[in-house]
Amino acid sequence: MSHMPNSNGAREFPVETDFQKKARRPGGVTRNQAVGDAQAQIETLKEDFNDWLKDGLDRLQSAIQLAETYPDNAMLVEDAFRSSCELRDIGTTMGYELVTFVANRLCEVLNAIRNGADYDKVLIRCHIDALQLARQDSYRNVSPDQVPDLCDGLRRAAEHSGRIGK
Amino acid sequence: MKNATLNLRDLVILVADPSPYMCMLANSMLRGFGANKAMDARSSIDAIQILTEQKIDILLCDNLLPPHGGLKLTQAIRRNVNNPNRTVPILIMTSDTRESTIKSARDAGANMVVAKPMSPSSLYDRLSWIAFNPRNFVDAPTYFGPDRRFKIEGFPTGVGRRQGDNAIEVSEETGPTLAQDDIDNLFNSSRVG
Repeated sequence: MSHMPNSNGAREFPVETDFQKKARRPGGVTRNQAVGDAQAQIETLKEDFNDWLKDGLDRLQSAIQLAETYPDNAMLVEDAFRSSCELRDIGTTMGYELVTFVANRLCEVLNAIRNGADYDKVLIRCHIDALQLARQDSYRNVSPDQVPDLCDGLRRAAEHSGRIGK
Repeated sequence: MKNATLNLRDLVILVADPSPYMCMLANSMLRGFGANKAMDARSSIDAIQILTEQKIDILLCDNLLPPHGGLKLTQAIRRNVNNPNRTVPILIMTSDTRESTIKSARDAGANMVVAKPMSPSSLYDRLSWIAFNPRNFVDAPTYFGPDRRFKIEGFPTGVGRRQGDNAIEVSEETGPTLAQDDIDNLFNSSRVG
């Protein structure tokens, strides 16, 4: 290890950040305890999660309706993409793996549109309908491989559209 | 390391994510880990403002944080010689786990990447990895951040790396996404000696 610059002008030096110093202090929590406590914190959020999920889906639908109405406005597609990302990023953590799966596919569709693909209303509505289904309480803790027909249907719709899933 | 405990009490943790719910979720996990000083930023502009105003102990940052993105924010933090948070540990949160994205995060100066959707165990393990695996920093004309170079720490029964051995470059991978273990391996590259 050298503190002096080498021939490429690069210098290497040790850094012990406050995070590293403090996080290693005595009195911390073990992994099992920490994960258990965090899971308990998440459980308290689950009571209201279905309401948030409904609102999140409403926001996504509104964003998509606006994007369909004004197809030349890239910011509206961006909003729809971000709403879809939010559902994707949170679904599984809260026990809705199917929401993450469908939202992820919708993200791929919307990302293709962001990158210049044509706007396919039917394909997007297929995904919205699937999300409406996936958010139902009866689909909580259901994984994609438990609903192969739904997953195959989305894949076929995407293939038909030519956007993704080829 | 395996039985080590993590003490996040009084550590200032900044969670930068455009989604209020995602911030709340991350904060809930951090509270479960014992953290009591977590703050939020909804954009890279908010995050920069906070980082210039106060000392942060660790930054959890979304890869798509608007308007600049988490990797640009990471580069901005690392490149600013006047930033007191220049060496702050940065954990990138992303659902885009293509190898090219993970390598970009590493090359921007991130300490680690955690895949979204996050679980408490995946977040805890990444925080623990950062805490217990300090890496040297490299200050080079084109890079400032944790050392990205791989280190082979020796082989069993005293067989070591031969003097004439050269490191090899693996060709760029473009397609498949990585599992969290594969992501970790891309960061598990610190030179310990």
